[in-house]
Amino acid sequence: MKAFRRSRHQFVAVFDPDEAGTLSILASQVIALLDDRGSHDSDPALLRLLPDAYPDDAEASAEFRRFTADDLASRKASNARRIVADLATAAGASSATTVKVDAQAAEAWLRSLTDIRLTIAARLGIETDDDLGSGDSALVDLYDWLGFVQGSLVDCLDR
Amino acid sequence: MSDVLEQTELIESTVLDSPWVTIVWNDPVNLMNYVSWVFRSYFGFSRAEANVRMLQVHHDGRSVVATGSREEMERHVEAMHDFGLWATLAKAGE
Repeated sequence: MKAFRRSRHQFVAVFDPDEAGTLSILASQVIALLDDRGSHDSDPALLRLLPDAYPDDAEASAEFRRFTADDLASRKASNARRIVADLATAAGASSATTVKVDAQAAEAWLRSLTDIRLTIAARLGIETDDDLGSGDSALVDLYDWLGFVQGSLVDCLDR
Repeated sequence: MSDVLEQTELIESTVLDSPWVTIVWNDPVNLMNYVSWVFRSYFGFSRAEANVRMLQVHHDGRSVVATGSREEMERHVEAMHDFGLWATLAKAGE
Protein backbone atom coordinates (compact mmCIF):
# COMPACT_ATOMS: atom_id res chain seq x y z
CA MET A 1 0.00 0.00 0.00
CA LYS A 2 1.18 3.49 -0.76
CA ALA A 3 0.18 6.12 1.79
CA PHE A 4 -2.53 8.67 1.04
CA ARG A 5 -1.36 11.82 -0.67
CA ARG A 6 -3.24 14.90 -1.71
CA SER A 7 -4.02 15.44 -5.37
CA ARG A 8 -5.94 18.68 -5.87
CA HIS A 9 -9.26 18.16 -4.04
CA GLN A 10 -8.85 14.45 -3.67
CA PHE A 11 -6.88 12.03 -1.53
CA VAL A 12 -5.19 9.24 -3.38
CA ALA A 13 -3.70 5.96 -2.18
CA VAL A 14 -2.65 2.72 -3.86
CA PHE A 15 -4.05 -0.53 -2.44
CA ASP A 16 -3.11 -4.10 -3.29
CA PRO A 17 -6.19 -6.26 -3.94
CA ASP A 18 -5.76 -8.20 -0.69
CA GLU A 19 -5.32 -4.99 1.31
CA ALA A 20 -8.46 -3.48 -0.19
CA GLY A 21 -10.33 -6.75 0.36
CA THR A 22 -9.23 -6.99 3.99
CA LEU A 23 -10.16 -3.40 4.82
CA SER A 24 -13.49 -3.89 3.09
CA ILE A 25 -14.23 -7.02 5.15
CA LEU A 26 -13.28 -5.22 8.38
CA ALA A 27 -15.63 -2.35 7.52
CA SER A 28 -18.41 -4.88 6.82
CA GLN A 29 -17.75 -6.55 10.17
CA VAL A 30 -18.22 -3.23 11.98
CA ILE A 31 -21.55 -2.79 10.15
CA ALA A 32 -22.62 -6.29 11.21
CA LEU A 33 -21.57 -5.64 14.82
CA LEU A 34 -23.58 -2.41 14.92
CA ASP A 35 -26.61 -4.00 13.22
CA ASP A 36 -26.62 -6.81 15.76
CA ARG A 37 -25.81 -4.65 18.77
CA GLY A 38 -29.02 -5.56 20.63
CA SER A 39 -27.73 -9.06 21.28
CA HIS A 40 -24.17 -8.02 22.21
CA ASP A 41 -24.68 -5.04 24.49
CA SER A 42 -21.86 -6.05 26.85
CA ASP A 43 -19.35 -6.50 23.99
CA PRO A 44 -16.30 -4.33 24.88
CA ALA A 45 -15.98 -3.23 21.25
CA LEU A 46 -19.57 -1.94 21.20
CA LEU A 47 -19.06 -0.26 24.56
CA ARG A 48 -16.16 1.59 22.98
CA LEU A 49 -18.06 2.48 19.79
CA LEU A 50 -21.05 3.71 21.84
CA PRO A 51 -19.53 4.58 25.22
CA ASP A 52 -21.26 5.68 28.41
CA ALA A 53 -21.80 9.45 28.33
CA TYR A 54 -22.16 9.63 32.13
CA PRO A 55 -19.48 7.38 33.65
CA ASP A 56 -20.90 7.62 37.18
CA ASP A 57 -24.58 7.53 36.30
CA ALA A 58 -25.83 4.33 34.68
CA GLU A 59 -29.39 5.63 34.39
CA ALA A 60 -28.39 8.86 32.61
CA SER A 61 -26.02 6.87 30.35
CA ALA A 62 -28.85 4.49 29.42
CA GLU A 63 -31.11 7.42 28.64
CA PHE A 64 -28.41 9.12 26.53
CA ARG A 65 -27.91 5.86 24.66
CA ARG A 66 -31.64 5.49 24.09
CA PHE A 67 -31.72 8.90 22.38
CA THR A 68 -28.43 8.76 20.45
CA ALA A 69 -27.34 5.15 19.78
CA ASP A 70 -29.59 4.46 16.78
CA ASP A 71 -28.45 7.60 14.95
CA LEU A 72 -24.80 7.10 15.90
CA ALA A 73 -24.89 3.45 14.80
CA SER A 74 -26.52 4.34 11.50
CA ARG A 75 -23.96 7.09 10.79
CA LYS A 76 -21.12 4.69 11.68
CA ALA A 77 -22.59 2.04 9.37
CA SER A 78 -22.94 4.60 6.61
CA ASN A 79 -19.28 5.64 7.03
CA ALA A 80 -18.21 1.99 6.82
CA ARG A 81 -20.29 1.48 3.67
CA ARG A 82 -18.43 4.42 2.11
CA ILE A 83 -15.14 2.54 2.60
CA VAL A 84 -16.60 -0.67 1.15
CA ALA A 85 -17.91 1.22 -1.90
CA ASP A 86 -14.68 3.16 -2.48
CA LEU A 87 -12.60 -0.05 -2.27
CA ALA A 88 -14.84 -2.24 -4.43
CA THR A 89 -12.83 -1.80 -7.63
CA ALA A 90 -9.43 -2.19 -5.92
CA ALA A 91 -10.59 -5.29 -4.00
CA GLY A 92 -11.70 -6.98 -7.22
CA ALA A 93 -8.65 -5.97 -9.28
CA SER A 94 -5.77 -8.26 -10.18
CA SER A 95 -3.06 -5.73 -9.33
CA ALA A 96 -2.46 -2.68 -7.12
CA THR A 97 -5.08 -0.03 -7.80
CA THR A 98 -5.30 3.70 -7.14
CA VAL A 99 -8.15 4.62 -4.83
CA LYS A 100 -9.45 8.19 -4.90
CA VAL A 101 -11.34 9.65 -1.98
CA ASP A 102 -12.94 13.11 -2.05
CA ALA A 103 -12.97 15.46 0.96
CA GLN A 104 -16.41 14.42 2.17
CA ALA A 105 -15.65 10.72 1.82
CA ALA A 106 -12.33 11.27 3.64
CA GLU A 107 -14.29 12.35 6.72
CA ALA A 108 -16.27 9.11 6.57
CA TRP A 109 -13.06 7.12 6.07
CA LEU A 110 -11.36 8.69 9.09
CA ARG A 111 -14.34 8.02 11.35
CA SER A 112 -14.75 4.47 10.15
CA LEU A 113 -11.03 3.67 10.32
CA THR A 114 -11.27 4.80 13.94
CA ASP A 115 -14.26 2.51 14.56
CA ILE A 116 -12.43 -0.42 12.96
CA ARG A 117 -9.28 0.23 15.03
CA LEU A 118 -11.35 0.61 18.23
CA THR A 119 -13.00 -2.74 17.51
CA ILE A 120 -9.70 -4.53 16.86
CA ALA A 121 -8.11 -2.91 19.94
CA ALA A 122 -10.98 -4.26 22.05
CA ARG A 123 -10.39 -7.74 20.59
CA LEU A 124 -6.64 -7.48 21.29
CA GLY A 125 -7.22 -6.19 24.83
CA ILE A 126 -5.40 -2.92 24.16
CA GLU A 127 -6.54 -0.73 27.05
CA THR A 128 -3.60 1.53 27.92
CA ASP A 129 -0.89 3.36 25.96
CA ASP A 130 1.59 0.67 27.04
CA ASP A 131 -0.45 -2.28 25.73
CA LEU A 132 0.95 -3.63 22.48
CA GLY A 133 -1.76 -6.22 22.01
CA SER A 134 -1.33 -9.86 22.83
CA GLY A 135 -2.16 -13.06 21.04
CA ASP A 136 -2.87 -12.87 17.35
CA SER A 137 0.23 -11.33 15.76
CA ALA A 138 -1.47 -11.08 12.36
CA LEU A 139 -4.21 -8.99 13.97
CA VAL A 140 -1.59 -6.79 15.68
CA ASP A 141 0.07 -6.23 12.29
CA LEU A 142 -3.30 -5.39 10.76
CA TYR A 143 -4.02 -2.95 13.59
CA ASP A 144 -0.67 -1.22 13.03
CA TRP A 145 -1.26 -1.07 9.27
CA LEU A 146 -4.69 0.54 9.79
CA GLY A 147 -3.00 3.14 11.99
CA PHE A 148 -0.62 3.87 9.11
CA VAL A 149 -3.50 4.20 6.61
CA GLN A 150 -5.45 6.50 8.92
CA GLY A 151 -2.41 8.56 9.93
CA SER A 152 -1.49 9.22 6.32
CA LEU A 153 -5.05 10.35 5.52
CA VAL A 154 -5.13 12.70 8.55
CA ASP A 155 -1.81 14.18 7.44
CA CYS A 156 -3.30 14.95 4.01
CA LEU A 157 -6.39 16.60 5.48
CA ASP A 158 -4.63 18.45 8.25
CA ARG A 159 -2.52 20.84 6.28
CA MET B 1 -36.42 39.15 54.22
CA SER B 2 -38.25 36.55 52.18
CA ASP B 3 -37.34 38.47 49.00
CA VAL B 4 -33.70 38.29 49.88
CA LEU B 5 -34.01 34.60 50.62
CA GLU B 6 -35.76 33.94 47.29
CA GLN B 7 -33.14 35.94 45.44
CA THR B 8 -30.37 34.02 47.15
CA GLU B 9 -32.05 30.74 46.23
CA LEU B 10 -32.41 31.90 42.64
CA ILE B 11 -28.74 32.83 42.43
CA GLU B 12 -27.73 29.55 44.06
CA SER B 13 -29.87 27.49 41.71
CA THR B 14 -28.48 29.37 38.70
CA VAL B 15 -24.96 28.68 39.89
CA LEU B 16 -25.73 25.05 40.64
CA ASP B 17 -27.61 24.45 37.37
CA SER B 18 -24.67 25.47 35.26
CA PRO B 19 -22.32 24.80 33.74
CA TRP B 20 -21.65 21.34 32.43
CA VAL B 21 -18.42 20.26 30.77
CA THR B 22 -17.45 17.93 27.93
CA ILE B 23 -14.42 15.82 28.80
CA VAL B 24 -12.32 13.92 26.25
CA TRP B 25 -10.36 11.03 27.78
CA ASN B 26 -7.09 9.48 26.69
CA ASP B 27 -7.32 6.15 24.92
CA PRO B 28 -4.57 4.00 23.42
CA VAL B 29 -6.17 3.81 19.98
CA ASN B 30 -6.75 7.30 18.67
CA LEU B 31 -3.80 8.84 16.86
CA MET B 32 -2.48 12.16 18.14
CA ASN B 33 -2.84 13.86 14.74
CA TYR B 34 -6.42 12.57 14.44
CA VAL B 35 -7.44 13.91 17.88
CA SER B 36 -5.90 17.27 17.04
CA TRP B 37 -7.71 17.32 13.66
CA VAL B 38 -11.05 16.48 15.36
CA PHE B 39 -10.58 19.35 17.82
CA ARG B 40 -9.84 21.76 14.99
CA SER B 41 -12.54 20.65 12.61
CA TYR B 42 -15.35 20.23 15.16
CA PHE B 43 -14.66 22.86 17.85
CA GLY B 44 -12.93 25.30 15.50
CA PHE B 45 -9.83 25.51 17.70
CA SER B 46 -6.70 27.03 16.22
CA ARG B 47 -3.93 24.57 15.40
CA ALA B 48 -2.00 25.64 18.53
CA GLU B 49 -5.05 25.35 20.80
CA ALA B 50 -6.00 21.96 19.35
CA ASN B 51 -2.47 20.67 19.93
CA VAL B 52 -2.46 21.91 23.54
CA ARG B 53 -5.76 20.12 24.23
CA MET B 54 -4.61 16.97 22.44
CA LEU B 55 -1.37 16.88 24.46
CA GLN B 56 -3.38 17.48 27.63
CA VAL B 57 -5.50 14.41 26.80
CA HIS B 58 -2.37 12.40 26.04
CA HIS B 59 -0.32 13.41 29.12
CA ASP B 60 -2.96 14.21 31.76
CA GLY B 61 -5.43 11.55 30.67
CA ARG B 62 -8.24 14.03 29.97
CA SER B 63 -9.10 17.51 28.80
CA VAL B 64 -12.18 19.67 29.26
CA VAL B 65 -12.93 20.77 25.71
CA ALA B 66 -16.23 22.64 26.20
CA THR B 67 -18.38 24.24 28.90
CA GLY B 68 -22.07 25.12 28.72
CA SER B 69 -25.58 23.80 29.18
CA ARG B 70 -26.24 20.10 29.66
CA GLU B 71 -28.06 19.84 26.31
CA GLU B 72 -25.19 21.51 24.49
CA MET B 73 -22.64 19.21 26.16
CA GLU B 74 -24.72 16.15 25.22
CA ARG B 75 -24.55 17.27 21.59
CA HIS B 76 -20.76 17.63 21.83
CA VAL B 77 -20.40 14.21 23.46
CA GLU B 78 -22.50 12.61 20.72
CA ALA B 79 -20.34 14.34 18.09
CA MET B 80 -17.16 13.06 19.79
CA HIS B 81 -18.59 9.51 19.80
CA ASP B 82 -19.28 10.01 16.11
CA PHE B 83 -15.53 10.62 15.65
CA GLY B 84 -14.72 7.63 17.88
CA LEU B 85 -13.26 9.73 20.68
CA TRP B 86 -13.98 8.69 24.27
CA ALA B 87 -15.99 11.61 25.66
CA THR B 88 -18.24 12.08 28.67
CA LEU B 89 -20.08 14.95 30.30
CA ALA B 90 -20.26 16.05 33.92
CA LYS B 91 -21.23 19.00 36.02
CA ALA B 92 -18.36 21.46 36.17
CA GLY B 93 -16.18 21.01 39.25
CA GLU B 94 -17.12 17.37 39.81
